[in-house]
Amino acid sequence: MASGPVLDIADLSIAIHGNAIVDRVALSIGSRQVVALVGESGSGKSLTALSILKLLPDVAEIAGGRVSVNGVELSSLSDADLATVRGNDVAVIFQEPIASLNPLMHVGAQIAEALRLHRNVSADAARDQAIAMMAKVGIPDAPRRAAQFPFELSGGMCQRIMIAAALICRPALLIADEPTTALDVTIQAQILELMRTLRDEAGTAIMLITHDMGVVADIADQVYVMYGGRIAESGPVQVIFAEPRHPYTRLLLATIPRLEGVRKTQLKAIEGSVPLAGHWPSGCRFRSRCPLADQVCEQTPPLQAVGDDHFSACWHADRVAGIV
Amino acid sequence: MAPLLDVRDLKVHFPLQRSDRPGAMVKAVDGVSFALDEGRTLALVGESGCGKSTTAYAILGLVEATGGQIKFDGRDITHLTRKERRALTGDMQIVFQDPSAALNPRLSIAQSIAEPLAIAGQSRDQQRKRVAELIDRVGLPAAFARRLPAALSGGQRQRVVIARALALSPRLLILDEPVSSLDVSIRSQILNLLMELQRDLRLTYLFISHDLSVVRHIADDAAVLYLGTVAEQGPIDAIFGAPQHPYTAALLSAIPLPDPIAQRSRQKIILSGELPSPIDPPPGCPFIARCPIRIETCARVRPHLAPSGTGSTVACLVRVPASAA
Repeated sequence: MASGPVLDIADLSIAIHGNAIVDRVALSIGSRQVVALVGESGSGKSLTALSILKLLPDVAEIAGGRVSVNGVELSSLSDADLATVRGNDVAVIFQEPIASLNPLMHVGAQIAEALRLHRNVSADAARDQAIAMMAKVGIPDAPRRAAQFPFELSGGMCQRIMIAAALICRPALLIADEPTTALDVTIQAQILELMRTLRDEAGTAIMLITHDMGVVADIADQVYVMYGGRIAESGPVQVIFAEPRHPYTRLLLATIPRLEGVRKTQLKAIEGSVPLAGHWPSGCRFRSRCPLADQVCEQTPPLQAVGDDHFSACWHADRVAGIV
Repeated sequence: MAPLLDVRDLKVHFPLQRSDRPGAMVKAVDGVSFALDEGRTLALVGESGCGKSTTAYAILGLVEATGGQIKFDGRDITHLTRKERRALTGDMQIVFQDPSAALNPRLSIAQSIAEPLAIAGQSRDQQRKRVAELIDRVGLPAAFARRLPAALSGGQRQRVVIARALALSPRLLILDEPVSSLDVSIRSQILNLLMELQRDLRLTYLFISHDLSVVRHIADDAAVLYLGTVAEQGPIDAIFGAPQHPYTAALLSAIPLPDPIAQRSRQKIILSGELPSPIDPPPGCPFIARCPIRIETCARVRPHLAPSGTGSTVACLVRVPASAA
């Protein structure tokens, strides 16, 4: 495999009715890397991820930019070639595993189906490999479970089935869109542990979409924080947590109640509401909620280097430490 | 002083409607006890299916208790007639997780908040005045009164739901995952509002949540539920500072800390297995299948809550042997 990035997104814009819902996003993921894309509703994180596999809803269109997987630009591909990329090179899992599985098909067959579509294997061999993969993602009693329907399995088990189906073709990149949000915490811990093992053993690169800074701290190498369809800040995980240089990141971290904090005190809050997608102010899209906002912020701030591999889109990046 | 809410050995069992399992029972709540003093916050903590919401519904009379006793302000309210229950609704209210589902999309904000007042027989004038007061109290601009829920954000809608719950000046507010469906940047606003309201109005909260960092911040006491029973309960400092039940310890360990260095260097307890089904649970300890410290006795003897020595009570035969209790 080439030594370049597994995924390279350059200058990506996605528009809905002419409105740039995702605005010039750039992002890259190297082999074995776990990259977290963090944001709230309307931040554009899920649209960015869906565009990689051209799974965007009909109203949304790619208005500019390039997406390349292992050096191949996806816009140049025919539908047939794209189908080969999906599942083969890039696989995706979503928040609601139950909604992603076919309720009328045995779970084992759903994993085998992915293999049969992309590899020239017999039905028997596919079934055996599916069962082996189920065992690998931690499903006990896999041969019996393979012959069950999704409704017979718990949410955590269904998410493991999704992961098994996503990984059966050994994709170079796994896109995980809020993979643990619908799960209980003890099950979340199991799934995160599983994702870590996959990265370590199979070398799978992972793009993790989440709003949970705890999950980010647990597993990510590199973090991209999105707000209003743009990258607000990006950098290595330690740096983002220790020295955030965008007010949104800084405030987001400050609002979380800490297990070591003083109880019952007023929590730091971010003023206002998350604007609906497309209803952002001109210039910096965070400025309606930002304590540092002034006249300069009416101009869109560029994403600029503020440290080693650390970027912030804020005119006042040097004053961010003082706001909390 | 008697507690405002006193729950003793509460049981909610449902017959399972399945022909292949005749006589099987779902024991959603199976012997839960706690007392909640006026002005304080008790958190019910646990994962899906642990019985935390069913406990709340039994208190509100939304499901029927099949055993035990619920006392509110010294009065037995376990089994009430519809009329008696209705008279009590002004005193206890609930706020659900998803404010979008809790508001009628065709009613304006003012109409939604006025509904309980109208049902209570207040005049139009009284209603208008109280609605304006409540909208201001929960931190919304007065102009929002005439808007529809669709024009509001999730956090603003949750403020409306809280205003409606406060309309008849309840003493007990049951908060069922009140911030879980909100954006992260909005959660602290709503938690701050809830703390402020409690202080100003001397409200009593039963706070249901799976988010332990939120629970630790806002509650005075916590009860950790597992499979319809209490695994451990006591003051927040005891539960979080020195968890005695292996399930409490695992839950705490499973919350990822928002600090990459601390999170990656800490010792994690990752439980194997799944949450078991509450259909005909086994006779011994409900946690046995996932427990890292189980002994042989745990399969036969159901542990009862006993003082742990750290301020909490804990139901674990290994930590607190039955003979010592």
